[in-house]
Amino acid sequence: MKNNFRMFLLLALALFALALGVALGSVGISAADLLAILGHKLFGRALPEEIPGVTVSILWTIRFPRAVMAFLVGASLAASGTVMQSVLRNPLASSYTLGVSSGASLCAALVIVTGFALPLIGRYTLPLFGFLGGLGTVFLAMALAMRFDRNLENQTVILVGMVLSLFVNALLTLVTALSSDRLSQLVYWQMGSFSGQSWENCALVLPILLVSLGVLLRYSREMDLMTFGEEQALSAGVDLRRVKFLLIAVSALLTGTAVSLAGVIGFVDLIAPHVVRRFFGSSHRRVVPMSALFGGAFMVLADLAGRTVLAPQELPVGAVTALIGAPFFAYIYFRRGRSGS
Amino acid sequence: MLRLREVRAGYGGREVLHGVSFDFQTGQNYCVLGPNGCGKTTLVRAIAALIESTGTIEVDGRSVRRMKRREIAGKIAVMSQVTQVYFPFSVYDTVMLGRYQHMSGRMFGRPSGEDRDMVEQCLRSVRLENLRDRRIDELSGGQRQRVFLAQALAQNPEIILLDEPTNHLDVRHQVELIDYLHRWSADGQHSVIGVLHDINLALRLTENVIFMKDGDIAGSGAFDQVADADFLRNIYETDIAGYMRDSFEKWRNIQ
Repeated sequence: MKNNFRMFLLLALALFALALGVALGSVGISAADLLAILGHKLFGRALPEEIPGVTVSILWTIRFPRAVMAFLVGASLAASGTVMQSVLRNPLASSYTLGVSSGASLCAALVIVTGFALPLIGRYTLPLFGFLGGLGTVFLAMALAMRFDRNLENQTVILVGMVLSLFVNALLTLVTALSSDRLSQLVYWQMGSFSGQSWENCALVLPILLVSLGVLLRYSREMDLMTFGEEQALSAGVDLRRVKFLLIAVSALLTGTAVSLAGVIGFVDLIAPHVVRRFFGSSHRRVVPMSALFGGAFMVLADLAGRTVLAPQELPVGAVTALIGAPFFAYIYFRRGRSGS
Repeated sequence: MLRLREVRAGYGGREVLHGVSFDFQTGQNYCVLGPNGCGKTTLVRAIAALIESTGTIEVDGRSVRRMKRREIAGKIAVMSQVTQVYFPFSVYDTVMLGRYQHMSGRMFGRPSGEDRDMVEQCLRSVRLENLRDRRIDELSGGQRQRVFLAQALAQNPEIILLDEPTNHLDVRHQVELIDYLHRWSADGQHSVIGVLHDINLALRLTENVIFMKDGDIAGSGAFDQVADADFLRNIYETDIAGYMRDSFEKWRNIQ
């Protein structure tokens, strides 16, 4: 009952964050106008005459897709981070730990630089390569870790993942430096941004997020068991190899899609599951959807802060999330160290 | 019945078990004893199919290697020794995870009434019903061990495997755990196979002992028939019998 109340509260907060993300900006839009425009666009209701067409245009073609995209990307990254923490049995793990973000960034950057597009799938090329880059890097990290430590101890996996991540990041820097004509575009993209997002991008991310969340919910018990260790999961009856592969693939899909469309945005995937566990416990049946909801809301607010705090100058959203996330990471780490757990 | 024939297993190309053969009878408890590095833990892990092995491991006539993970879990539970808890589940949720193999076919693994009843029963049997909503990282070592025992019981297996289950427990909790397992297996339908360092504690669980040395079984059967002073000296490379007698002399005067 307490959890149900908290769930509705978080849902309400997420909707409120979305509303703020849409309403606030260089042109303020009142709640009444927001609802009127929403009613007009979604249900075909007549638009009050006092709302200028430019306001409708700002809201529907710029603010709304931007806020929705921020929400979807935040939710994707948070869900992906939840998976990584469970699979690696480490509350400090994230999509960055095993190089998922780095691999996705590198492949997405190559697509951006070369302008390469696969026939038939066209604009899906970018998220597809982001996914493949993320997946390829994480499995390379696992394979390398296996060579050093057949038991795949978490410390080895994380260390190898971080080294590989740094290496792939160096490749990304090289690609960026050698692409003088696209330099500013790549640098700006790597900082993370929701500027210029469209409904088309939202339509691309939404089904991937929904299907991924469905898969993660289906495997929530397995994730619960994996947090107690692999032998515990095996002896309880989990088909570990298959489930682990599937979960990592879903994590790579979520991160790869998010990174390729919005750039590199860190810390949401680390923060969201932590905050959610504090209020909802550790069961992944609750942690997965609530992390997605929290991550989405957090990203909308981070983007809002990024474009309003120093307006008209816009701060990269990746910097905003990192500014909040880095101290939080340190807090978690040192708190764990003190408690000795 | 659990049947082992020529079971070999190891780590990273190094063979630790060198062809172990043994028949574990249903309804009997067994303690695996021996010095460090003799292969006790590897034997338990091979039986539960947690590591790869060769040879024959059959439960009720079926090879564990041909069984699905869920099927193995229905026959064999391993009581874990989770000492570090990174994700603080509640006691109830932790025990409910023992029902995984019964729930995993259902939509989103939702527990049935039977699952809930079973978990309640297991919580009561280890006297944790009043702590059901507590986070497991807030529990003492003994309480946490009981949670993982309840989780193994919730799995409703025929055999519970234990690997040094009394590590991190004080004497009272060691005895309580062993006594509980003794009662659980007294119906003749269940078996406990435990790896224990403490010979006295092992004998509290069962008279059936399996002594291991250098990756193979050095002797098995009723303790008083298998073990004499020379045999124990050969196994442990020290005068265990003399040490025990000295200890009992000191206890003799305690009223």
